[in-house]
Amino acid sequence: MSDLETPPPADPSGLGPEVKQSLLGRYDVAQKAGGLLAPVLTAVLAFAVGGLVVLVTTGKNPLTTYRAIFDGAGFNWFFPWVTGDERSIAALNMQQTLILTTTLILTGLAVAFAFRCGLFNIGGTGQYIVGAVLAVWIGSSFQNTNSLLHIFLAAIAGAMCGALWAGIAGFLKATVGAHEVISTIMLNWIAVFVGVFLFGLGGPLQNDTQEFIPISNDVVEGAKLPVFWGDPLLQGLHVGFFVAIGALVVYWLILNRTTLGYGVKAVGFNPEAARYGGISVSTNYFLAMAISGAFAGLAGAIDILGWQFRLSTNDVSGLGGGGVAFVGIAVALLGRNTAVGVALAALLFGGLLTGTSTRNLDPEIFKPELASNLTLLIQGLVVMFVGADLIVLWLMARMRRRKPA
Amino acid sequence: MTSLALPLAARAPRGLRTVAWIGIALGLLGAWVALPPISSRSWVWSLVLCLVAVMLGAGVLIRGERRFGGFAIAAGVLGFAVAYFATVSSLGKLDTVVVWSALFAAMLRYATPLIFAALGGMFSERSGVTNIGLEGMMLMGAFFGILGADKLGAWYYGLLVAIGAGALMALLHAVLSIHLRADQIIGGTAINFLSLGLTGYLYIDIYGLEGTPTDISGIPQVNIGVIDGIPFIGEVFGHLNLMVWVALILVPLSWVVLFKTPLGLRIRSVGEHPRAADTVGISVYGIRYGAVVLSGMLAACGGAYLSIGFLNSFSENMTAGRGFIALAAVIFGNWRPFGAAAACLLFGFSTALAYRLPEYSSSAAVLFLALPYVLTLIAVAGIIGRSIPPAAVSRPYKKS
Amino acid sequence: MTDASRTVLEMRHITKRFPGIVANDDVSFDLREGEVHALLGENGAGKSTLMNILYGLYHPDEGEIEISGKPVRLGTPSAAIDAGVGMVHQHFMLIPVMTVAENIVLGEEPTHAGAFLDLGEANDRVREISERFSLAVDPKARIEDITVGQQQRVEILKALYRNADILVLDEPTAVLTPQEAKELFEIIQGLTAQGKSIIFISHKLNEVTEVADRITVLRRGKKVETLPAEGATEESLARLMVGREVLLRVEKGPANPTDLLLEVENLHVFDDRGIEKVRGLSLDIRAGEIVGLAGIDGNGQTELIDAMTGLRGVAAGTVTVAGDDVTTASAYGHFNAGLGHIPEDRQRRGLVLEFSIAENIALHDYRQAPDSRFGWLYPRRLIERGARLIKEYDVRGGGAQTRAGGLSGGNQQKVVLAREIDRNPRVLIAAQPTRGLDVGAIEFVHRRLIEERDEGRGVLLVSLELEEILSLSDRILVIYEGEIVGEFSPDASEEELGIAMTGGGRGQEAAA
Repeated sequence: MSDLETPPPADPSGLGPEVKQSLLGRYDVAQKAGGLLAPVLTAVLAFAVGGLVVLVTTGKNPLTTYRAIFDGAGFNWFFPWVTGDERSIAALNMQQTLILTTTLILTGLAVAFAFRCGLFNIGGTGQYIVGAVLAVWIGSSFQNTNSLLHIFLAAIAGAMCGALWAGIAGFLKATVGAHEVISTIMLNWIAVFVGVFLFGLGGPLQNDTQEFIPISNDVVEGAKLPVFWGDPLLQGLHVGFFVAIGALVVYWLILNRTTLGYGVKAVGFNPEAARYGGISVSTNYFLAMAISGAFAGLAGAIDILGWQFRLSTNDVSGLGGGGVAFVGIAVALLGRNTAVGVALAALLFGGLLTGTSTRNLDPEIFKPELASNLTLLIQGLVVMFVGADLIVLWLMARMRRRKPA
Repeated sequence: MTSLALPLAARAPRGLRTVAWIGIALGLLGAWVALPPISSRSWVWSLVLCLVAVMLGAGVLIRGERRFGGFAIAAGVLGFAVAYFATVSSLGKLDTVVVWSALFAAMLRYATPLIFAALGGMFSERSGVTNIGLEGMMLMGAFFGILGADKLGAWYYGLLVAIGAGALMALLHAVLSIHLRADQIIGGTAINFLSLGLTGYLYIDIYGLEGTPTDISGIPQVNIGVIDGIPFIGEVFGHLNLMVWVALILVPLSWVVLFKTPLGLRIRSVGEHPRAADTVGISVYGIRYGAVVLSGMLAACGGAYLSIGFLNSFSENMTAGRGFIALAAVIFGNWRPFGAAAACLLFGFSTALAYRLPEYSSSAAVLFLALPYVLTLIAVAGIIGRSIPPAAVSRPYKKS
Repeated sequence: MTDASRTVLEMRHITKRFPGIVANDDVSFDLREGEVHALLGENGAGKSTLMNILYGLYHPDEGEIEISGKPVRLGTPSAAIDAGVGMVHQHFMLIPVMTVAENIVLGEEPTHAGAFLDLGEANDRVREISERFSLAVDPKARIEDITVGQQQRVEILKALYRNADILVLDEPTAVLTPQEAKELFEIIQGLTAQGKSIIFISHKLNEVTEVADRITVLRRGKKVETLPAEGATEESLARLMVGREVLLRVEKGPANPTDLLLEVENLHVFDDRGIEKVRGLSLDIRAGEIVGLAGIDGNGQTELIDAMTGLRGVAAGTVTVAGDDVTTASAYGHFNAGLGHIPEDRQRRGLVLEFSIAENIALHDYRQAPDSRFGWLYPRRLIERGARLIKEYDVRGGGAQTRAGGLSGGNQQKVVLAREIDRNPRVLIAAQPTRGLDVGAIEFVHRRLIEERDEGRGVLLVSLELEEILSLSDRILVIYEGEIVGEFSPDASEEELGIAMTGGGRGQEAAA
């Protein structure tokens, strides 16, 4: 009777991997079983509960709030009956949403890729920061270089640095079995402090011309990503969007068409069997974290080169509290770690974040500061529902009732 | 020299540990010699002491006692590093930075929230449930502590409300992990998200952009007048907050409960082999629920201390990763109360030092704040020997 | 035997259903005072389920239970304990890091001042009971430091500490040496002399005839018969258990061993705790023979296999496969040198259950052509090979792209076999290849292993089932405490092997 066995030894931190395996396994079944249904239901449920919170605490109608967020995100741009001024505002909003979606796709892929190997990469923030730091440094140096080369260098440097940062956690996991949750969170905070140091007053990368503002140098014109939709002066959508789409393709290809992906998946599903099969578990842990970090670092680089163009200490310390990289966790979980899922979840959360920002949300309908915390709540609910597999279990129970035992 | 001493001690592991403690003490002594009040200007004495420490540590390590041997080596190496830097820095700066009494008092203050959360995390993990949500529960305690103290008028109401809030969040984590058998790490992360969002939401909703009022009743200090005159002791222990004392008392209390009571035995059995405990009639679910809720209440106490005991205000995400540092302390301390508390004191000391080191360089000051997080990273990396967790931790239990 | 006619336990018309299976179907069972009543049946016959119901871990869908004439509701283990039922589980319910006394008193701890644990009292009480029932244990020893036989005594003491009058022993000899089993039978006699009644669950015919007073045979959830042990023979019991004539030995031709394929010389291997588990072990395997490795679990087999397959480092000695020294090679290197490994636990170590059958089959070779080139994978080739092997090995339950987790145990094992054998290994190491399989699957595996032997491969069969070793092997090696202590022919008796497995008769080469 298998359930009477004594448990196998866990890793030194006591935050064992056995449970995560079964989580990946359950996802897998859910994929084949529920397909799109499970994530959609999860999202709906999360929004429903969020709406309840709105209703209870502010007495406002959650539907109007959500409608306002919807418009604020620019989703109404898809409706052909929206014309004229309303349309151009919607276009602007949609550009903002897609800018955020770009970042969220990348940070979501970062978390998703690590998950595929059974690892929980919460370090997206730190990896994003180091990517951004490298990008802003390279982007603001080397005047008069070939635009394409400059952008390429900055982006690659950012991705590499992110890979390195995550690689530290991956290396620790691979060699001494240190649990990646704690090590990546620590690395997050270390990155924050390093960033604040670098751009603080008197710091090595602080602005050359404005000595009393703790901010970096600006990215030079030649290294900025060109905008293809909207007005560059109004933060239009930049070509980084295509980089994100490309990343989705690369993600899928790695996992389904390369030996690296096979190894990563095998280790993620069953490290014991992978080991017995001759696959090196520690190498895969390291590679998975490194690739994961590369995605997140690239996110930071693209943001800098695409619309931020500079980093201040406030930006960096603000991220410590949970910025775009953090949302990547909810994106990956909601998207069930698949390329398509991450893309759609990134769009959803991108819209949510844009629609609740100060610029786009009418304070009469709902206070924006409250709204940003509302999005945190919704993220938490998504993570919780996904983690508890409530939807999946319910779906599976329904499926079993249909099929004969 | 050391090889003569070791064979005698090596007969019993306890002998090895004693030797290792001697090594640790020598390493610390080597550092202390170069610091005020002795402030030796030559690093030779420190070198000798620390070298002996390293050798003792190496000897202990080779004979199998890896953890403590590692500690002794670390003490020797770090002790010498500190001594060296002390000797090359100016006496004036040294005297300003290394004010032992102020450092120790600050260490206790910074360690207190960590100790509360770590003890909570220890009970939870000992019963077999990983609690990554300590951070969120601490934050809940911080916010609801201030809220309660503000709206209900006194700090003890605030503390009660904080404990209640922490318990509720923990109850959610318990349901997720125990009944729904969710992945405990994802569940804990969800708790952190929810806590962050909930406290931020309510904070803005209730207090708006002005922040919390400045005159909220705070947890009082315990002023021990009698010891005021005594040089070191008086400065460190004379004016500590009530919660600091509570935390210090909770440590031995936890030890007694965990190792000297039937309840503790049952908690540990549930964490090691839940099915064995089940077959002798112990309620696995009951014990786990209790332990998790307790961890929430304790973490909330830590958070409440932060807001109504220490800073007398609340700001969004004010816990800043302390819950995770507490969890690292549990691991570092091998899931034992005194070990975890010692780790918390170490982390607290590093924070205290970090706030005084700006004396040397103000722009690099920020980097020193990263010290506790770096230490945690080193701790978790298991560089100082592996720890053995409760065998069944983070595995959900299925009753058939 | 005291009052033989008093019935202490009656289970009437017990039915228990699980999704898709009726584990107990209208089973009635009774137990008399002071008797040893054996519950016999194959894996899955329903013995453990019935006893778990008695112990309060399961609830019957139908039926009643009466203890000493009084109807009882056994909803939890606590209720069962209160009613005087004690259970010694097959997989011990002991906490390794705690002491004997702590394990025994857990749940009913003696205290002083009402709040504090009184371990001194606990130690005393444990000593007192162990003397009363002649079950010698050291109360202060930690479970992880004592032998399996002693651990079992602790389990029995747990039940006796709680005043159990009815003791259920679930496959108690599964983990014991033959000597320890004999000691257990003596303990059982002592217990019945003191008035305890014992239910002895087993699937081993020889033990049951030796120790029981009455035998109840279960088959596929139903009770077949209850009969007195006197007059019951192994053959008659086997027929009752399985319902047909059972071939206790598999048919195979003689062996013709030729080239040396696997050579292990003077191997020294340490386990994770730094204890030397393999001490200067040497063995060799030739083409065309099946070598069986017999031994009690824990004598170094696991570490030996790990070292031979590259999953564990070797402290000293060499491992050579078909002339290549693979001692320091990685697991991957071993596979490439011509080693095949059927691991012990097919679900944990043999297969990635979430992968498809095709992906599982490619587990060793996916990094090489034709499955991939320069890191680029060709899924279609994996699927082709998977489909071919499914047909060849008659794997039922799905196609090449079906999740391996959806297959039955026997079919899963077929996938593992297919994967290993299709790669044309020189040597095949099979560790517990038929554990948990039903009779049909066992037959398939045994036949396949003999086929491979006849094709010129060398097979090392490591098993804890002496019957399997005796029926398949051409040569039998016995491992004890990390060394080979004897080599036997398949004509050897179980007693001879048992003696060698416990370290007796060392140095005697009992060849044919």
